[in-house]
Amino acid sequence: MNRYAALLSLLLALLTISGCGFKDIDKRFFVVATGIDWSGNKSKPYRITLQLAIPSPKIEPGASKIQYETIDAPSIAEGVRMLKAYVDKELDFGHCKMMIIGEELAKRDINHSIEWMLRRRDIQSVATLAIGRPTAETVLHVRPASERYPGNALLLSFGADGTESSYNYAETLSGFARRVSEKGMDPALAIITNDGKESYIINQVALFDKEKIKTILTPAETQLFNQMSDHFTKASMHGMFKGTPLVIAINQLNSSFRLQGHTAPVRITMKVKMDVVFEEAPNGLFDKDWLSVEDALATEYEKAAVALLKKIQRHGVDPFGFGLRYRAVYPGKNAWNNWTQLYPDAEFNVEAMVKIEGTGLIR
Amino acid sequence: MNERIRLLFAEAADLKTYTLSNSTMSIEIAYIAPLCDEKMISDFITVPFTKEEIPYRKQLDTIPEYLKIEDPARWQDLMLRGNVLIKDIDSGEIFSFFTGDVICNESPQTQVESAIQGPQIALSEDLNKSMNLIRTMYPAPEVAVEEYSVGYISKTPLLVVFDQRHVDPSVLDNVRSKLSSISIDMVHAAGELEKLLIGKRRHLFPTVLITERPDRIAKSLSKGKVVVLIKGSMFALIMPVSFFDFMHAIEDNYEAYWMTRTLIVIRYLSIILTITLPALYIAIVSYNPELFRVQLAFSIAASRSAVPYPSYIEVFVMLFMIEALIEASIRLPRYIGSTATTVGGLILGQAAQQAGLVSSIMIIVTSVVAISNFVIPINSLSFSVRFLKYPLIAASIFFGISGVAVGLFLYVSYLCNLRSFGKPYFRLHGKVNPAEGDVGQVRAK
Amino acid sequence: MNRYFFYNFMLVSLMNLMLFVPHILVKNRYSGGVSALIAAPVIGAILMYMFTSAMARYPGLGYPEILKKYCPRWLVSLTSVYFAIMWWFSSTIVVVAYAVLINRFFNPDANTTVILIMMVLAAAYAASRSTLTIAFIIEIGIIVNAPIILFIMFKMVRSPQLNFDSIRVIANYVTVMPTVITLAAATLIFTGYIHLALFNRLFPPNFRFKHLYVYPILGFIILLITFFVPIGFHGTEGVDRYIYLWAVTSDSLIMQYGFIERVIFLFLIVFLNLTLVYTMSGWHLGMEYIKSCFKACKPEIDSPKAPKANYIILAVFATATVLYLIFTNEKINYLITSYWLVLRMFTEIVGVLWVFILSRRRLKPE
Repeated sequence: MNRYAALLSLLLALLTISGCGFKDIDKRFFVVATGIDWSGNKSKPYRITLQLAIPSPKIEPGASKIQYETIDAPSIAEGVRMLKAYVDKELDFGHCKMMIIGEELAKRDINHSIEWMLRRRDIQSVATLAIGRPTAETVLHVRPASERYPGNALLLSFGADGTESSYNYAETLSGFARRVSEKGMDPALAIITNDGKESYIINQVALFDKEKIKTILTPAETQLFNQMSDHFTKASMHGMFKGTPLVIAINQLNSSFRLQGHTAPVRITMKVKMDVVFEEAPNGLFDKDWLSVEDALATEYEKAAVALLKKIQRHGVDPFGFGLRYRAVYPGKNAWNNWTQLYPDAEFNVEAMVKIEGTGLIR
Repeated sequence: MNERIRLLFAEAADLKTYTLSNSTMSIEIAYIAPLCDEKMISDFITVPFTKEEIPYRKQLDTIPEYLKIEDPARWQDLMLRGNVLIKDIDSGEIFSFFTGDVICNESPQTQVESAIQGPQIALSEDLNKSMNLIRTMYPAPEVAVEEYSVGYISKTPLLVVFDQRHVDPSVLDNVRSKLSSISIDMVHAAGELEKLLIGKRRHLFPTVLITERPDRIAKSLSKGKVVVLIKGSMFALIMPVSFFDFMHAIEDNYEAYWMTRTLIVIRYLSIILTITLPALYIAIVSYNPELFRVQLAFSIAASRSAVPYPSYIEVFVMLFMIEALIEASIRLPRYIGSTATTVGGLILGQAAQQAGLVSSIMIIVTSVVAISNFVIPINSLSFSVRFLKYPLIAASIFFGISGVAVGLFLYVSYLCNLRSFGKPYFRLHGKVNPAEGDVGQVRAK
Repeated sequence: MNRYFFYNFMLVSLMNLMLFVPHILVKNRYSGGVSALIAAPVIGAILMYMFTSAMARYPGLGYPEILKKYCPRWLVSLTSVYFAIMWWFSSTIVVVAYAVLINRFFNPDANTTVILIMMVLAAAYAASRSTLTIAFIIEIGIIVNAPIILFIMFKMVRSPQLNFDSIRVIANYVTVMPTVITLAAATLIFTGYIHLALFNRLFPPNFRFKHLYVYPILGFIILLITFFVPIGFHGTEGVDRYIYLWAVTSDSLIMQYGFIERVIFLFLIVFLNLTLVYTMSGWHLGMEYIKSCFKACKPEIDSPKAPKANYIILAVFATATVLYLIFTNEKINYLITSYWLVLRMFTEIVGVLWVFILSRRRLKPE
């Protein structure tokens, strides 16, 4: 009898403490994407947009239902708390895998937003970060017709199991936070542009110093940047050979770099190795000498790459991590100071190695 | 003698007492008619006695099956076991003669632990027939058989069988002392004896393996285990056993190697699923929906949106239904059994989901729990495992996933703490170097 | 029965993630953390060889029994109580840190004390069992959980997010001499052998320790991963920002095709199991030490029924742990842990030397 009494009292004790954190899945509102914008109002600088999923039993193309909530707030955390008053269920950031920061805000200061994301325990460190243009809000309001469930389309664009676009630069929250704090490696984010209609384009990259956008690359540069930073996805490349245009598909690409010289000027040699297949080529190329074609393509690539590196250098940012490599190779107390002086005058050298694997199915 | 016997027994119509006499001698015989074979009595006693081809007194002295009884205190006992008592009135000597005829089933087909290959015959309810099977499958001179009887009233005969070469003496001593210390009136089933042998009133896991398969018994004997046969039950007890023996179907020895290994892995997976799945469902739905992929979260959320109750009520509703269904279909006759399963499983499940009482995911969870429970090859373990999910459900209601993990840890500790007749119950098999000895052997003596 | 020794070693070396070891090392990454990584296996290996060779001479005897042979009773009792407190505390740090971690990641709305009470009750129940049972539980715990941890670690090392430049930058600081605190933190990984002090009671007389060279190598690899993987993931500077370094690091990894997508949950569940196993073993050892102070208590390795003394001692342990949580916070816990690590290292060295000298003295002809 005693035993049962003890058990019963234990159960009663448990009952009194129960209920903490117990919240059923249908009483939660899943935030699938968060947008943070600059509102323009000094007292309430942050405009927070939450994309909330409305679960539906059918998961099929075009069946996703979404609710939006937007608010202006003096800080992000406060904004999220105030937003809870607008919705009937508990907000849950556990599935929020898309963080979009408005371009305007990114041009001012991004650190505050990043800090908020890092501090919250329920935001995944693997959440994808991107810049929204013109604002995060407009990007979030895009509703692709094929979307199967809320928030899926954007996520697929960035994930490895969705589209493999060569213009897309996926960066996670933890990766971005690392670059923000690391000496000698600067952050970069993809820009999602809303073209005014019901779709978006992701084909540009914004380069940051430690707190705001320094420069934005053109789509062509973005593709090159992705290749050189080893964020490789299947890409294509244009080229000219003896006056005829060529289009090649890059099947495999490896890039690496090394530093030469300890004193000014430092020489940064970047090696890019790629295996390519022709997609568009003049007839009869199969029988010609491929070596000269490879050389011509390589020189063209090198020229473009050096130009991009120079542009990045001119803006004083270092997304490739040259500085970090310098610190690794030349240790010492003053390594970082030395590097800040050396980098503006560094010389670039790109060695591209193009290997043609074939001309496709026809000669 | 006969008057005295009539006094010893209650008023019983089936108690027969006669006085016979022929030319040379007269005898009194007494027996309980239903327990004896009347044909044997007439063939061996009444006919030779009246025919007088050989003097009956000589028969009594020479045939070894006539046992001379000195002690009147044993009369009752002998008669109750199907002996006929014969008194030579002239000399006053009393003999007993066994004519017992106990009704039992013929050696039947295996029903509980059936195997496609391997022997199809199960133990019999008769000890002699069972021993016949065991001795045939394990023809070794080292097989020792000891006789016991338990129960003050039932006096059920038991046989303790073991292989003298391999048996662990400490286990044997343990079994002997447990058997002789049993004090109870009646024992009729193997499960009952199991409880008495373990000695604990509340136990969660079976620590004695109950089997009907003679091949499993032969295999256990060769591994040095002790087997207890009980009269009137077609099941034998094997001890000591470990948890892993319960997960081992006898067919694993007969079928192709890789598939049986895979099956063993599947069994362990199922046992984990059947214990944890309902608890995990509650934990994930109510505490950590971010654990799974977002699609799954949305579809659970959507299918749950019609359900008015918290997740654990949903789980209890479904588990009650499935447990009741299993319980009902075990007791029902076979023909009705399948109908009940169909009605319960298919129609009720579907209806409950459409009525918005439970979510569709919960139906899957329940079926997985039920199916994986039946994967466990030995029935007694499968029975005790059925209980294990409930404490975990309670833990998950209050603490979510961490509660489930802590609960599992407690189960593992409990299992490791169990001993089956002094041997560890839940211990991974490993190679033991006989020169070094085993862990914990230092102080075993 | 080397495997039981191996499990104890693995248990402690994997638990270091919970004992703030990576935290302390990373904090001192510019001031001696790296060289401590190299010095620690050497120190650990020497201590381990000394200890195992000493204990092998006393088969079936625990540390207190050995001391009792040579030293006065009061001294033995005093040491036993001291060791008991050290062991109780090592488990307490872990279980308290983990209760807070659960509160942060699993049940943010729940009360930390309630979670701690649940964990403490489970660990105390398990610890009250016999020594043999404890050995089996550790075995199951390691066999089930260690492969998952090794898998996660492997995935991390192979991850493209791991930046080797950051690792190289930090590795270059190898020339800075180690400090006491970094050494104390790094040697913790090799400390599993000390569990032998009581588990030696289990080992049969003809038992030999084999493959001892494996342990320093294995420990060194785990140590390298513990220290460098977070740096590779969070960079040389960012790594300092996180309180739950390894939890966040595991969150940075994603299993694209795994059943559970977020590695952090796998990581947390596995470490919850290990934490319970560790707490159990620590408290059991502490309990046995305290019991060895009493004359009446004979060391028993597999008693069928747990004696009452077990429950009393463990109740005290458990209550003290809950009180510890109530009176401290994350910051104080971290601070106390650092001091405890240093104290532990010196205690260990003295303890090992003591029993080593005793064992050698016996060898001399009398």
